[in-house]
Amino acid sequence: MTTSPRPERSDVTEALPVPRTEAPPAAETLREQSKTGSGRRGGGGGAPSARPSKGVGAYMAQYSLVILLVASFLLYTFWGKTGDIFFSTANLSNVAGSQAIPAILTLGLLIPMVSGNLDLSIGSTAGLSAIATAGLYSETGAPLFVGVLFGIAMGLLVGLVNGLLVTYFQIDSFIITLGTAAIILGAVNWYSKGVSILQGIPQDLVGFGSGKFLGVPKLVYVLVVVAFLVWYLLEQTPYGRNLHAIGSNKAASRLVGIRVERDIQMSFVLSGGLSGLGGVLLVANAGSANPQIGQQFTLPAIAAAFLGAACFKLGKLNVLGSLVAIYFLQININGLSLAGVANWISEVFTGLSLILAIIFTGVLSRRALKTSVKAAQSSAAEKPKTA
Amino acid sequence: MTSPASATATSSVLRVSELSKAYNGILALDGVDLDVRPGEVHALLGGNGSGKSTLIKVLAGVVDAEPGAVLQLGDSTQSLDGWSSDKAYEAGLRFVHQQPAVFKDLSIAENIAFGTEFPKTRTGGIAWKQLNKHTAELLERFGVHASPTTPLGELRAADRTRVAIIRAVQDREDADTGVLVLDEPTAALPPTEVNHLLDSLRRYAASGQTILYVSHRLDEVLSVADRVTVLRDGKKVATVDAKGLSEADLVELIVGRSLDRMYPEPTDAPEHDVVLSARGLSGGPLTDVSFDLHKGEVLGIAGLLGSGRSELLRMLFGAYKANAGSVSLSGREVRFETPSDAMAAGMAYVPEERQADALFQGNSVRHNMTAGDANSYFSKLLFKHDAEKRDSATAISRFLIRVVHDSQPVETLSGGNAQKVVIARWLRRKPAVLLLDEPTQGVDIQARAEIYALVREATEAGCSVLLVASDPEELAHACDRVLVLRNGRIATDVRPPLEAHRLTELMNLAESVR
Repeated sequence: MTTSPRPERSDVTEALPVPRTEAPPAAETLREQSKTGSGRRGGGGGAPSARPSKGVGAYMAQYSLVILLVASFLLYTFWGKTGDIFFSTANLSNVAGSQAIPAILTLGLLIPMVSGNLDLSIGSTAGLSAIATAGLYSETGAPLFVGVLFGIAMGLLVGLVNGLLVTYFQIDSFIITLGTAAIILGAVNWYSKGVSILQGIPQDLVGFGSGKFLGVPKLVYVLVVVAFLVWYLLEQTPYGRNLHAIGSNKAASRLVGIRVERDIQMSFVLSGGLSGLGGVLLVANAGSANPQIGQQFTLPAIAAAFLGAACFKLGKLNVLGSLVAIYFLQININGLSLAGVANWISEVFTGLSLILAIIFTGVLSRRALKTSVKAAQSSAAEKPKTA
Repeated sequence: MTSPASATATSSVLRVSELSKAYNGILALDGVDLDVRPGEVHALLGGNGSGKSTLIKVLAGVVDAEPGAVLQLGDSTQSLDGWSSDKAYEAGLRFVHQQPAVFKDLSIAENIAFGTEFPKTRTGGIAWKQLNKHTAELLERFGVHASPTTPLGELRAADRTRVAIIRAVQDREDADTGVLVLDEPTAALPPTEVNHLLDSLRRYAASGQTILYVSHRLDEVLSVADRVTVLRDGKKVATVDAKGLSEADLVELIVGRSLDRMYPEPTDAPEHDVVLSARGLSGGPLTDVSFDLHKGEVLGIAGLLGSGRSELLRMLFGAYKANAGSVSLSGREVRFETPSDAMAAGMAYVPEERQADALFQGNSVRHNMTAGDANSYFSKLLFKHDAEKRDSATAISRFLIRVVHDSQPVETLSGGNAQKVVIARWLRRKPAVLLLDEPTQGVDIQARAEIYALVREATEAGCSVLLVASDPEELAHACDRVLVLRNGRIATDVRPPLEAHRLTELMNLAESVR
């Protein structure tokens, strides 16, 4: 766009919650448009001969978070202050296991986020599900699987309500889920009177939640399965494709026959269900249900989702990026605390990383966009020169 | 028309020579000269990719030219190396874009003040009285009848553009240098508003100001411009006096040879086989609309903005509620509650607002092409990415879409190519009925011809088309038959021979009756 030298500024929305602009994947072949383009009506486009050369910078940017993850890992491994403890099996398995539940919540959050909706209730929903599951076990002595299903069902129910409110009243999901999050928190405190539920949790459940298989916490296996399923849903199914379309343009989605309301509704149900699962796993991991624990997961999950959008697919929310983000943050928090830095560093580190990553992606994806715009223009300019 | 005073006829207010610009080694501009004389309206024409937007961007200081270009402003000659938007502003160049960045919720006065500065009171607050008075004077001078405190959004489209122009030129009244550069100022305007804007421009030029005018609409260019520069493939083809030129002459200059016809030959209007039949449709602005659409026919809908033309298409597509009436498709009565119902029955719809209602920004060309059709690539729990790629490659070559790669984000395409992606999205599904709402808005003349060729190709294969267009010329050429919509009712059914001036009359009649 030509911009008038002064006051007109058009870069209005660099918007929440769905960042955009995917840099063209590197591995794909040039789509030859060949002679067909030029033949018909007096010589239009010719065959574009050059792929947009993606700058090394943009390429580096795609993997910068992975590089940083590896670099941090090496740093804490070889740093005298931390190396001994950091690189121990116990510590590494602790790092991996401690983030399984937050990661599952983050992946749940991704589903509505891809469609342009935020779910701020994931943390409190997990808390609700934890309290509900533990409450059921301690009051009725229900069998293990009933409690698990009950906890997940609570999450699904919250998702259903969130989705209905968002789609039926067409109110911004940010506001709706802020509201439901607060209500759930209140309900949990009412039921638990603010006290943890410690009694009656089935030993098998706790054994699973705190156990290891092949030296790796069992929760990590759950995370791997969930991550695969969410990736498959978002990237390999028509439903996922439709969510991406809705996130880009709701009105246009409707006009190509996408059932926008139904799809958004479903995204909240799925997000709620995964939060419910997260809640059950909290009980399994701790052997108890703490009414305060849930809400602390919400903001880090949002941060990780956005941070993940700075990885692999620049500017696009994606599953693998979110996982890298979560473990990048945790390795650093773990390493810094081993080095003796005070606890408050974890929040500061998370916040700083998020802001820097967003600035970084913003700059680079804009640059990637410019590159492809230029390439498009030059391909249009390169027409057969008719005499 | 204004003619430059003879004393200054040979001097230039803005002169660029030897201007080149390469993207990735490919020349978008190739040694272009441009010579704008004081007090003239100078039109810059060319198809997509001809380099005219690059030229404007260079002038605006947004894009750097290749070294060696020379810029002459009035008497001072300088190199274009190191040209910047600040320097362009200093030199009196003012730019107004296709979609001017105006703030609809703010008042006219506030919008205009953003162009310079808010006048301040002694305590540092905004001097509203002074600002409003100043704005009222400016509005008066430019013939906008509105109060400075009116929110801009309440103005009609032409006046909004005029406010954008006022904002750009407010400090230029007495200057005898400088150029107002208008980039497709009428692209977003309904045709009835265009003349109001053109009148303002003529008055502004008559007061001695210079305008560089970029447009796709040739009739406008001929009615407002003194001279015309045509670019093709990054080179200047010619600079000619507008006087005595016809649209056909311009077309020839733009595309390099005369198109036999800009639009394909209409087929003999087939009267058999009614495909779509509407009876007594009412709802929104529409009252009792009945018509038949035949197999292979292009049926035009002529009507002013607000006549209900867009609502009619949306209603047929299940995206706008009908209160009464019935629609039958191939003899069977249908009732579409949602667009997906309509699509399942073989309907397709290209909406008027491409950016807002059709394109998925940030998504690739390929995903835009298959949007809403993802289910057809999913079987046995696997997404057939290869089949999707093949299909998009086929569509890209079949529908003459100029892209570097189909994973390119769709917002990097030109208007014409983006529109072809939208049209390809539907045509590749071989719809029974294609609803087109202003399919050539913001599309250059060559892409326009290509789009109508594609439409004609589809109708030959049996598709039926309902076409809403503002340009009577376009309707006359592209349609087999035209319905005139007036105040939500069908006023006339115009049969061949279709003539543009007759359609214009009928549309104006509609306005006077209202």
